[in-house]
Amino acid sequence: MQSRRNFLKLSAGAAVGSLAATLSGTVQANTCGEINWDETVDVIVVGSGFAGLSAALNARRKDVGSVLLLEKMQVIGGNSAINGGWLAIPKNPIQLAQGVNDDSPEELVKDQIISGRGMHNEASLRLIANRALDAYHLCIDTGVKFRDGFNIQVGGHNKARAIRTQHGTGGDITTKLYEAGVKEGVDYRLQHYIEDFIMDGQKIIGVKVRKHYRFPDLKTGSSVFIKANKAVILANGGFARNMALREIVDPSLDPTLDCTNALGATGEVTLTAMAYGALPVHMNLIQTGHWGSPDEGGFGWSNALLSIGWHQGVAINVLNGKRFMDERADRKTCSEAIMKNRNADGSPAYPVVLFNYNNYANDDRVVRALRDKMAWKLDSLDAIATQFDIPVAELSRSIVEYNQHVRERKDPLFNRKMDTAEVLTGPFVVSRIWPKVHYCMGGLKTDLGARVIDGRSMEPIKNLYAIGEVTGGTHGEARLSSTSCLECLAMGIVVAETIKADLQGAV
Amino acid sequence: MNTLLLSTLLSLAVSGSVMAGDLVKMKGSTQGRVNHEFIYQDGCQTCHQGSGKKNATDAACVECHGDINSITVDESKLAIPEAHPHKSLHYNQGASCLACHGEHEKKAPVCTECHRTWFEVM
Repeated sequence: MQSRRNFLKLSAGAAVGSLAATLSGTVQANTCGEINWDETVDVIVVGSGFAGLSAALNARRKDVGSVLLLEKMQVIGGNSAINGGWLAIPKNPIQLAQGVNDDSPEELVKDQIISGRGMHNEASLRLIANRALDAYHLCIDTGVKFRDGFNIQVGGHNKARAIRTQHGTGGDITTKLYEAGVKEGVDYRLQHYIEDFIMDGQKIIGVKVRKHYRFPDLKTGSSVFIKANKAVILANGGFARNMALREIVDPSLDPTLDCTNALGATGEVTLTAMAYGALPVHMNLIQTGHWGSPDEGGFGWSNALLSIGWHQGVAINVLNGKRFMDERADRKTCSEAIMKNRNADGSPAYPVVLFNYNNYANDDRVVRALRDKMAWKLDSLDAIATQFDIPVAELSRSIVEYNQHVRERKDPLFNRKMDTAEVLTGPFVVSRIWPKVHYCMGGLKTDLGARVIDGRSMEPIKNLYAIGEVTGGTHGEARLSSTSCLECLAMGIVVAETIKADLQGAV
Repeated sequence: MNTLLLSTLLSLAVSGSVMAGDLVKMKGSTQGRVNHEFIYQDGCQTCHQGSGKKNATDAACVECHGDINSITVDESKLAIPEAHPHKSLHYNQGASCLACHGEHEKKAPVCTECHRTWFEVM
């Protein structure tokens, strides 16, 4: 932690030491120029996911001056580059062409209020939903391609309003926003790690950055100081990869859980902001996906594969060959049930999910899962029992019993809704499951203009803005699928407008 | 100097089949790529901007190899066509050479963080 005054003492002592010794409070503002800045820009954006890329591009378009985007990793795009590429847009053209005419931003907000369970910020959700079409056009204008005619209803939404990028990855959006930014004058730097903020009282005036940093080694690279004349925008994402922080804010989160996020989602910039007074909210609200596979990294294919598995198939405990949960219950219920599957030493005994192969042989969810060896095609229950070390008699008994329940369309064991369940005959598609940490609903408190709120004064920290997953309080208890991309893109537009307005107000 | 580098590279491109170059002991305990041997004879400055202690940047790679678009990849060796490391759906132009390539150590490309079966350590 380094206030400007400390900075003068510690870092620039040789250059301005005698001056610093004679500083009085009244002349502080005039001495900023004495700091030995390596570089000066108008706007610094931290992070290069949807939020950072949108903010940087829109800041350029709002003519607020030079824009420098700092990314600590060796690639542009952060967690957004590997996400699923879903985007909830009420009144999008594909939706209208499908004849879904009764959707609106307000309908989206209604769905989010239900999943927020009283912990959401309704005004913030409404602000974002009202900018959804702007976010969509930002994508179209920069060359993003969405799937032709594809618009579906995803979990927790009451309307079909989720469109998806051509290749089913957020990279389709991040690469285009990045390329547009290059053309329009955004200066991007990889391997720049934010070590500290440089504050002048309750105003941020720059950042200390480790340049040429190589994740995750903090000894790599060297420190430089970059001044931000007008704004610092935090768009550094969530902290789902910060195991220590995760465990502190939610001790019930199992340390064996992997994470769907890119490796850089470690949240140190969020912690630095908090150290300077930024108010954290809902830090303990962390979403897990119960659809993770231990046989692939990050987000992977498992989520898509199990959209078949949960409906048409069955989940089995490998230790006793038995079913153990309602496969169609919500994320939290299933995650908790799955994590009870343990070996004697406490290590995960990954359950298996199996469903019939023949009906889905050409389904791309199955094709790519088998191709990438995170699921296997096995002809018989014997083969499954052998491969996953499951007691074969128990497994066979469980499947016979399950098939009877499928025929009766009734699940006396777990009360699962059996309308989509299929009698399992083999050959089978089999995958292993274990939940993964997915999304941080909590983060920094901001106002509707994306200004970061200081918890001591409840006023904005001057020139400090935050958007995207680094912020907290918007979604409440749980975030709905396809709403994070929307939030990040929309708030990138909003924050540029706020900065413009704040600058005009300051004149 | 650049002409020399270019001609050396061209001859390697014709004769060699290894893309990134095998990793061998170069100087003292430092390992390096066989196709970069001539750089080691020159000292470290070519890549390390005047000092071996300074981290190399993409600029050094691009000076000899050209930018990412001008480097050919043998597409017949890809696990699937979409797994083209120089035309990544996730990063495209937005990746540092160093995200996937290491000069002094074997390194797994950034794709292996999720797609564990598509690429090998190189």
